[in-house]
Amino acid sequence: MVEFIVRRSMRAILTIWIAITVTFFLLRLLPGDPTLLVVEGDMTPEMQQALREQYGLDKPMLTQYWLYLVELVQGNLGTSFRQLQPVTEIILSRLPWTLLLAGSAFVLTILLGIPLGVYAAAHRGKRVDRIVQMFGITGHALFVPSIAILLLVVAGSMLGWFPIGGAIDPDTRGLAAYFSLFHHLALPLFSLVIVQLGPYALTLRTNMLEVLGEDYIKSARGRGLSPQRTLWRHALRNAILPALTLMGLQLGTLVGGAVLTETVFAYPGVGRLIYEAVGQLDYPLLQGAFIMLAITVVVANLITDVLSMLLNPRIRT
Amino acid sequence: MNSRNFRPRHLRGAVVATAVAALLAGCGLNEGNGDSGASGGGGGSTTLRIGTTTDVANFNPLQSLSKTDSWILNAMYPHLLRIDGDAKKVPDLATGYTYENDGKRAVFTLREDFVWSDGTPVTSADVKYSAETIMKYKLGNVAAKLTWVESIETPDAKTVAFNLSQAYAPFAEGVGFWMAVVPKHVFEKAGDISKFANDSGWVGAGAYILESATPGQRYVMKRNDKYPHAPAGGAKVETVEYRVYPDVNTMQLALRNGDIDLMGTPVPASAVSSFANDSKIKLQEVGSLGFAHITYNVTNKHLAKPEVRRALSMVVNTDSIIKTVLQGEAQPMVGPISPTFTDYDNTELKAYPFDPAGARKLLEDSGYADKNGDGMLDDLDLEMVCDQSNPNLTRVAQVVREEAAKAGIKLTAACVERNTFLSRTKSGDYDIDVSQWAVFDNPMDQLRSTYLSSNPGGINYNLVKDDKLDKLINDTAGTTDPEQFKTKIKEIDAYVHDQALLTPLYVEKIRFAYNAGKFTGFAPSPSDLLGMVTGYSLAQVKPVG
Repeated sequence: MVEFIVRRSMRAILTIWIAITVTFFLLRLLPGDPTLLVVEGDMTPEMQQALREQYGLDKPMLTQYWLYLVELVQGNLGTSFRQLQPVTEIILSRLPWTLLLAGSAFVLTILLGIPLGVYAAAHRGKRVDRIVQMFGITGHALFVPSIAILLLVVAGSMLGWFPIGGAIDPDTRGLAAYFSLFHHLALPLFSLVIVQLGPYALTLRTNMLEVLGEDYIKSARGRGLSPQRTLWRHALRNAILPALTLMGLQLGTLVGGAVLTETVFAYPGVGRLIYEAVGQLDYPLLQGAFIMLAITVVVANLITDVLSMLLNPRIRT
Repeated sequence: MNSRNFRPRHLRGAVVATAVAALLAGCGLNEGNGDSGASGGGGGSTTLRIGTTTDVANFNPLQSLSKTDSWILNAMYPHLLRIDGDAKKVPDLATGYTYENDGKRAVFTLREDFVWSDGTPVTSADVKYSAETIMKYKLGNVAAKLTWVESIETPDAKTVAFNLSQAYAPFAEGVGFWMAVVPKHVFEKAGDISKFANDSGWVGAGAYILESATPGQRYVMKRNDKYPHAPAGGAKVETVEYRVYPDVNTMQLALRNGDIDLMGTPVPASAVSSFANDSKIKLQEVGSLGFAHITYNVTNKHLAKPEVRRALSMVVNTDSIIKTVLQGEAQPMVGPISPTFTDYDNTELKAYPFDPAGARKLLEDSGYADKNGDGMLDDLDLEMVCDQSNPNLTRVAQVVREEAAKAGIKLTAACVERNTFLSRTKSGDYDIDVSQWAVFDNPMDQLRSTYLSSNPGGINYNLVKDDKLDKLINDTAGTTDPEQFKTKIKEIDAYVHDQALLTPLYVEKIRFAYNAGKFTGFAPSPSDLLGMVTGYSLAQVKPVG
């Protein structure tokens, strides 16, 4: 087991290094020059050169890459071109919001997706099954900003049930602050969940249908176990393994979806930071944000792998 | 461990972890936020809440050029001059300026009553320090405006003189308007100003001083009771709070819902009518300091010919574009100077008529022909670049392409991502540039930047090298007599129009939406750079009732 975890951890480190390298070169291959975005209008060649030197862009690209890796190993993500502040500080001030949003969406999707998938499989061909399938496919086909705007207009503006954007009312304190926090979280959370729920429910439904046809399930029923116990304790336990893999994969999609959701809902997370940094070609900030998100997704997948291994020892080999 | 060990408690653990994240986020946010003013979060009358689209990227006013940064920073740091509602320069920190030594010495006198928020008087030393720092570190676009400065003198605490290598008529206007004056006693302690973030402990002398910044959420500014341009009795709004809404649609909903009182960003033309039935929301129209245009790269062998440029101008139906694309929310332009500058706009110029058939004839008379009979003039195949983030200009490019085809001119519209667009226009990689100038504060700077061939780093997107035009510009730039200056600007205006170096399109109407049921008294200035949110304007605002 230890060997398995070490092997997977090494693979995770390699993945993160590849993500860092690809991000570094990809950003610099993008059309545009960050210095041109600092000064609109008159900008002498001397001014542009001074900025390039300040940003470290005057050095050859491989030198820039090496210097970046050296700093990174020491835990330094660099200084933002535009904000002139350490990238680590900027990102860490935003990361809790993204973790809260994406984490809540992740948990809620599982809590809703699993019962829906199980229930649909148990009622195969019936109305509830058809509704779950239709909802799953429709939800997955929805574009996050579209559903986000719709929710804002209907639940935020027309009905006035939820605030328009933001993460918390800054003037609240104590319990009122926590109420405000969840009040502001509701709509962005619902936007992400409604889009993410479909794949879970449908995957679990398919797995359950397969497992429910297995001999040991028929045998369990034959032994007189209650249908509920057979369904939730025996069938689900085996059907959930592929869904576990899906959870790891979906986390990446969830983090990607947060960029759009945070922008529409004016939510102050890393996703919105990325959105703004892209427009400014702020390389250090973009690199830092991508690395943080890559680490989050890779670590989550590593945990998923370990969990899968613990649940299914055959994976160890 | 095997599958029998899987229990719902794993899920419960995940739920608990999320709850902990929520608690951490909650804890870290509102602690130390301080009070937001007398009205608190209830949206009372002394807190004016303004929607902005992005966070403050840079708090250093000597460096920052972002429009949204300037909304906050310009209210905090004084400028020698400001622009009033009629696009005229009027005194701000300065009481006025004069030119001496045949225009080679610009002398500003400062008001006596400007005081930094820490109690230190604002003096000529602060102005000198600000200008010299910009020159030393080549900061922002102001560095280009200080090109001619040889030395700066401060004969006394309220006089500052700029000695120039050559006379440049709008020098004082340009520097006076664009250059923020910072407190020397604070900034000089920072060392290398190019790396100074200035992100806390703000000391300003403008109408409002930043008190706290919560990135991603809000920026709270407090009234500066020492601000001398406030009305008698002081500014009525005690707290100005900027709230960040990256999506303009969300910001509109926030205004309707009462979450904010003013949209800092203009209302898109397509959304103007949606506010018509909202009795509490008022739209305030302000002038524009920019304009949309089609500019021709004269290094292209076809576009080097004035006849081709004139023919292209004849396939642009400006009135129709304004009516259909802008839904009437714009004013047409004829010459290269915006009608906003009434003293300089040459009203005798006549627009090129919209006449695709006439354009084709003009081109055929110039030697172009359709030898292969495909309806298009041979070889006349040009590419228009535009910024796809500007939906109006993207549509304009499509309309012009269709009209040009009727004249036998093949145009390809390449509307690309903004950074690509900027990169291509800066490197001259285009035939035709369809874009929009954001802010020109004076016509001379505009003409010099856009047409003078010897202006390195300028925005001569025509890439034109015309000796006559250079001579006209240089001659006008050194003219300090106001009437002669206006006449010469109009001459350049006429020459550029005759040469059809550009096809001016329109000056877009800018409208700001605010809650007129709660606040009144804004003193707006032209452009979305200034708009409703200058320090001067905010200091005049009063709660209703």
